Parts: sequence; structure tokens; C-alpha cells
Amino acid sequence: MIAFILRRLAITPVIVLTVYTITFCLAWLIPGDPLQQPEGRRPPEEIVEAMRQQYHLDNPLTFYVEYLGKASGVAWALGDADRPFDLGPSLRHRDWSVNEILATGLPVSMTLGLTAMLFALTIGLTAGVIGGLRPNGPFDLASQLFALIGISVPSFVVGAGLLILFSAQLRWFPIGGWGGVRYVVLPAFALSLPYAAYIARLVRYGMLEQMNADYARTARAKGLSRGHVALKHVLKNAFLPVLSYLGPATATAMTGSFVVEKIFAVPGVGQHFVDGVTGKDITLVMGVVLVYSTMLVLFNLAVDVLYRFVDPRIELS
Amino acid sequence: MRILAPIAFLVVALLIALSADHPRPAADFVLVQRAEATTLDPQRMSWTQDFRTGRALFEGLVTLDATNARPQPGVAERWEVSADGKTYTFHLRRDARWSNGDPVTADDFVFAFRRGLLPETAADYSGFLFHIRGAEEFFLWRNERLADYVKRPETERTRAASELLWKETTRRFNETVGITTTDRHTLVLDLDHPVAYFLDLVAFPALSPVHQASVERDSTLEPLTGRLLQRQGWTKAGSLIGNGPYRLVEWRYKRGMYLERNEHYWNAKAVRSGTVEIRIIEDANTTVLAAEAGAADWVTDTMAEYRPEMLAERRRYEARYAKEIAAAMAKGERIDAAVAMLPPPEEGERRNIHGLRAFGTDFYSFNCRPSLSNGKPNPFADNRVRRAFGLAVDRRTLVDRVTRLGEEPSNVLVPRDAIAGYSSPDGLPFDVARARRELADAGWTDRNGDGLIENASGEPFPTVDLLYSLGSPRYRDLTFALREMWRGSLGVEVQARAKEVRDFREDLKNGNFMIARGGWYGDYGDPTTFLDLSRSNDGNNDRQYRSDRFDGLLADAAAELDPAKRLTILRDAERLLMEEDLPILPLCGFVTVYMYDPTSVTGLTHHPRLEQHLSRLARRSNAEAGR
Repeated sequence: MIAFILRRLAITPVIVLTVYTITFCLAWLIPGDPLQQPEGRRPPEEIVEAMRQQYHLDNPLTFYVEYLGKASGVAWALGDADRPFDLGPSLRHRDWSVNEILATGLPVSMTLGLTAMLFALTIGLTAGVIGGLRPNGPFDLASQLFALIGISVPSFVVGAGLLILFSAQLRWFPIGGWGGVRYVVLPAFALSLPYAAYIARLVRYGMLEQMNADYARTARAKGLSRGHVALKHVLKNAFLPVLSYLGPATATAMTGSFVVEKIFAVPGVGQHFVDGVTGKDITLVMGVVLVYSTMLVLFNLAVDVLYRFVDPRIELS
Repeated sequence: MRILAPIAFLVVALLIALSADHPRPAADFVLVQRAEATTLDPQRMSWTQDFRTGRALFEGLVTLDATNARPQPGVAERWEVSADGKTYTFHLRRDARWSNGDPVTADDFVFAFRRGLLPETAADYSGFLFHIRGAEEFFLWRNERLADYVKRPETERTRAASELLWKETTRRFNETVGITTTDRHTLVLDLDHPVAYFLDLVAFPALSPVHQASVERDSTLEPLTGRLLQRQGWTKAGSLIGNGPYRLVEWRYKRGMYLERNEHYWNAKAVRSGTVEIRIIEDANTTVLAAEAGAADWVTDTMAEYRPEMLAERRRYEARYAKEIAAAMAKGERIDAAVAMLPPPEEGERRNIHGLRAFGTDFYSFNCRPSLSNGKPNPFADNRVRRAFGLAVDRRTLVDRVTRLGEEPSNVLVPRDAIAGYSSPDGLPFDVARARRELADAGWTDRNGDGLIENASGEPFPTVDLLYSLGSPRYRDLTFALREMWRGSLGVEVQARAKEVRDFREDLKNGNFMIARGGWYGDYGDPTTFLDLSRSNDGNNDRQYRSDRFDGLLADAAAELDPAKRLTILRDAERLLMEEDLPILPLCGFVTVYMYDPTSVTGLTHHPRLEQHLSRLARRSNAEAGR
């Protein structure tokens, strides 16, 4: 198992480097000049030129190598930079470095994402178990309807609806922003819905399948109640597909959602990638991609390892 | 049930994380803007929201009175202008203090202006300083020296070499640039030529002083490039030292700022709200909800697509009380006070939205280059063709049916009646018959009866390439409406072409368009802030309009010392631009849409410059309680 983890860790840089290279090519090809304002006065030509040189935007190869060196910490190890993992200054928000931007945004997005996943698990498991216990009963139909809505209604509709009802009308929650438990409930709920719906379906389907498995029938034959079998024995197995879904889902939720963060004015990292692309803020785009891809790779590894504990039949190799 | 343990752990961790992140106590005034400040470094600012915070955290030599945009004392308590209009002597008040208690001195201004003139500072508004004697030459000189420096072999680019160049730079600045001090409290600016609106420029946030010690702490010379590398740590909360009415308590990216009255500010008594919170909400609907629910005192720029409908509700409300409003305003009340005295709006009416005239003009640009970027001849190089297209535009229909924010139609570039003493030329009317005559004069008439116009050799008018930028429904709708107007009345084919904003900007620069969407906001209260756009060598002359006559008029105006005569010359220049050559086709004035409840918020000016000073803003309840 240690060998497995080490092997996976060893190829992580290769994966991240590939992602970095592809993103770099795409980001460089985005049309437009990052140093030009989209509106209004143009700065003098000399100034644009000075900035171009300062940020190495005059030469893609230099930029690629320099940025990689600073971001990976190699430049620091060689003594060419003051600190490791320097993702550079934002080209658009001149007072902020990409490190600072991510340091402010990531904890927010991670808190929001984890809360959303908790909501999703709670709602999804409940709905799935109810549905799986009495298939095609009224509760099952209700939970399936919920799952259908959760998956198909886009979060900008849900988000706007929640805001209007619970913030503007009932005044239970603040309108947008961040800072404290009250701020997280609505965006986390809006973010959790599609995940909850998917989990509900996975659990329901798993329960239905497992309830007919030999071991479940044996348990029933021994005189255990249906509910006892379902919760004590079947649920564990029905949960396995959810677990493999949770890894990438949690990673996605934690790296922020563009739409939910925008509607609820949550200062997370979800908007940065899109803003970076539209503003051609290359350093921001590259920084976000490097952090995202590293997180995603590590999360998948964590889930694989976790899987091994939950289901001892699985061999890690 | 073992699975519950990690989940319980997670819940506890989340609760701790969330409760550790406490919001600050509610501020005395909350404003919501849709974009984060790009910088708090005055010299590097170039966006409206930056300037707004800039005016709160810093104060220049003079400031502009919010209500009439006239210069009034700031750090300088008085000033003298020499008879030739070229020497400004500013006497700084002795009680001006930085937020850490240090005195504000003339040297702080010298330092700030010098860094504004360094190419490596990349100050967008360095051009404002170029009026000072030797300033532009200094900028170009330093730029050249830096270019030479990087050409040296790497072994010669040492710390000592960069320090030597820096020493030479400061010496040159002191010897050649007309920025000097006679004592700690007197600053003398020698201009290269008289500038009638110079005080307006001095009031510009980009010409605010900066605290030398804290800026220098973040600056180092880069031996490899010779440049002064200025890091921005000093603009963060806790480090930023300003001299304005407020000090920065907190600034978190995309989450907003928290400002507190700067007790060291010389005029702290006049600062009406003790604390101000600036929140960032990008989603337009959410900003409207925030205003409606009272979570925001002022929403600075509402972009919701249903703004026109909300403005119509406001007009309905005003119409019902037209008599009462007129009576109150006749007594000298401002519109906000007049509206605040009325009964609350009923269903389908509202008074918390305000469509305010801004200091800007929405326009389309004609490409004036002799040939298009594809090498073909450009029909719009002929000013008769440009005039024809201008005459065929029905602006009233555009503002009433397309843009619908209550804009004033405008056929001139400089907003009418926005600059004291300046009277605009007449501009071209809406006159389709005359438009057709102009086209005929230029050789374009319908020769074969197909409804489309041709030239003498029978070639049809080239399909008009009408360029607009994506991202704003306003420009899409305006572009389509113009296309129909021109197709319908001039007998030309028009093709609308959309480009992403940055791409669009490149096309403008490269002349890859025939007609393109434009628009401009003035930076200072003088017609030249608009007219300079059409100067032959101006960096923002996307149209590449070149007229010796126009340039000559601008030069004459610059040399004229008598203010009234100067404005008359500028009026002639604008007449040439708007009635004869028409490189720019003005459509209407811009409107900025604010949301605030006039019964509770005071201090927002409606003057077209929209210079909002945060120090003037207050909730009515707080303001009265404070008195």
C-alpha cells in the first residue's frame, strides 16, 4: 500500500505538468492583450511595453519556464527566488499576488464545498434510503421527483429563488457575503442540490440491488426486520458507489462554483478561473489550474486509499 | 456507525472555521459595488471604483467640491498661479497628517509625482503630469536608459550598476523636472505651457501623495533590469498609510473593505459616517435585492437587465407627485429631499432608483483611415459619407426604445451644460433627406433602381462592417437598431459583427472595422478631455482621424490665456468635429443608475461628474443623531 501511494505521488508532478502545459498553450492563445484595459483610456505605449517585459509577456517560452520555476519551487531551491511556490502577481488586480488571492479564496470555497457535501450526503442518503426501502411507494416517488429537480434545475435559478424567499422576504439569512454560519447555509444548500440528487439515485439503486442479494435474503430469512437489514447490512454495500463518487465531487465542490459564488457574493475561488480567462489574467489562470489539478489528483488518491479500508476486497496495485 | 465519527469531526471543524471568520460589526454606511478595486496605489489607479476609494484614503493638493466640481482646498490650503499661467505655488496646511500621525509635506508630493513619472510604475495617468516642465522628457529618458541597460552583458548588470542608474535618475529628476519645494510646506509646479484646467488635474486621485517610507519599504532595484521593482504589500490593510478622511481597516479580495474615520485627518470633524463598508456583489440581481432589503445603503451601479422597468416605476411615482416635487424644488430643495418628503410609493412605483446623468457620451466610431485593414478603399474616409450616416440616425428612437435609461439624446461629444462657461455647437440634426444628398455628393446614388446605392462605375456601396463588443446587451441592441436605420434610409447593406471585448479592442487599434461602438467618460472638467480623442497623435484616436485644422485649433486653445476666448476656440474645434468631419457619431449621454433610499441616505451628489466623496455620505438617522 505504501508503495502504491508513493507510486501515485511520484506521477503526480507529471500529471500536473501536463495540465500546466496544455492550459498554458490555451491561455496564451486567448485573443487580446492582458495589459490593455477593455474599456476607457489606453495607457501610453511605453508603459505597456515596460509591463510586458516585467511580466515576461513578450516571450511565451520565457514566461513558461520562469513561471514553472517559481511556481514549483525549483527556482527557490536553486536560490533564484525569495520564496517557493510563487504563483506570480495578478495581471489585472495589481495589488494582489495569485498566492494571496488563492489564500483568501480557497478557505472560503473549501468551507462552502464541504458544507455543501455534508448537506448533499445528509439529504441524498435520507432520500435514497427512503426510496430504496419502499420502491415505488409515495415516499420513493417524492424522493425521485426531488432528485430529478435537483439535477435539472440550474443553480442560478435555485440560488435566486432561495435568496428572494429566505433573505429578501423572510429575512432569515443575509443577502450575499461571507463571515459566519448564517452566510453559508443558503449557498451551501444551492450548491448541494445536484450532488444530493445524484447521491440519492446512487443509494436508491444500490439498495434495490443489494436488497435482493443472497446475504440480504438470508438475513431476512433469519427473521431480521426489513429495516434492520436495510440499515445494518445493505446500506454499507449500497454506499460504495457513493464513496467513489464523493472523491471527485468533493474536489469539485471545494474548488468553488462560479454560479453559486457569484449569486451569493461568496468571495471564493470559483470565479477566479473564469474571470482570469475573460480578463486574460494569465498568471491567475495558471495559478488556479496548478492548485486545482494538484488538489484533484491528491483527492482521487485519498479516495482510492479510503476505498481500500471500506472494502477490503479491493487490492491496491 | 463508525462512519459518524469522521462526519462529526467534519461538522465541528466547519463550525470552527465558520465562526472564526466573524464579520465586522455593521458599518455606519454600507455601499455595494460590482467590481473589486484593482489597486489602492493612487498612481496606478484607472477605474471608477479605484478612484472612489482613492478619494477616501488619500487627499490631493486640491479636491473637487462634490456638488459643483469646483476645486477646493485639500492638503493645500491656498495656492497662487503666476500671470503667465505656468507656475502654480501650493501652500500646504500644517495640520495635514498621514494616518500614522506623520505630517504631510511637500516632499511627499514630489515623491508621488516622481514615481508617477517612472515608466516602471506603469501609471496609466502619467500623462496628466506631462504638462509639467521636463516631465515627459524625464519619462522618456528613463525609459530609454532602461532599454539600454538591459542590452548590457549580464555581468555588467549588477546591483551597483542599477544603483548608479537610479542615482542618475533622481539627479536628473531634481535638475530638469519642474516639481520643486521651497520649504516643507510649499510645493511649486512649473508647467511647460498654461493648462486652464490644471487644478482639476491636480485634484485627480492619481495625483494624490503617497507615504514615502511605507512605499519604499516595498521597493527594490532589480539588478538584471535596472528597474525599480515596487511591490504592493503597502496597500494592504494594516500597512496602508493614507492621508484621506478614512483609513483602511480591512481589505479582503472580492470580499470588500472596511474603512474607519482617520482621526489624524485635518478635517475629521466633517467626516459624516464613522465607518464605511464596501461590499463586492457581482451579480446584478443580488445587488438589487441588497438595496431592496436595506442590506446596502447605496448600490453604486445597478446593471440588472430590468433597470429600464425600475426606472419607469420611478417616473410613475414622480409623475403622481409632479406638483409637490416642483414646489419643493422651487424652494431650493434638491430632488432627493423633495422625494423624501412624499408619501411612500405604492405598488408599481418606486423611489429608490436614480438614473443620473454621467460625464460621458455614448458614441460610434467611423474608421477614417484611407483604406481598410484588408487593403480595400474605405468609403468612410470621405467626411460626406460619415455625415450622411450621422444624419440618418434617429437618436430619440434609440434612447426611448433601445437603451431606455432616460438618456438625453446628444449630437455633440462634450456633454451639454456639464462644463461651466462652455456652450456646445449645434451638431448635426436627424435629417434623412439631407443624408441622401450628402451621399449623392460623394457619388453614391441608386443608379439601377434596386434600392441600393452605387458609385459612378456601378459598384455597390461596400457592405458596412459594423463592429460591437460582446458582453453587454446595450451594444448588441444599439448596433442592431443602427443597422436597421441605415439599411432602411440610406440603401446600404450593413453587417453587424460581434467580438469579445479584448479582441474588439485589438480590432479597433488595428483599424479592422468601418463603424464600431465607442463611448467615453471625461476625466476632468474641460472640453479637451473629450476633444483630445481626435487629436492626430492621440493614443486613443481609434478612428485615426487626422486634421491639421483640428489640431491647430486645439493648439490655439492651449496657448490662449483668456478662459472665455479659449472655450470659444474649443467650441469651434468641436463644431468642426461634429458638424463637418464627424469621426465620432455621438448618440446620447451616459446614465449611471444608483439605488438608494432617499429617505434614509444623504450626501450623494447628482452633479454629472458624479464625484462621490465617501466622507459626505451618511444614513439620515446617523447624520441627525450626530448633530
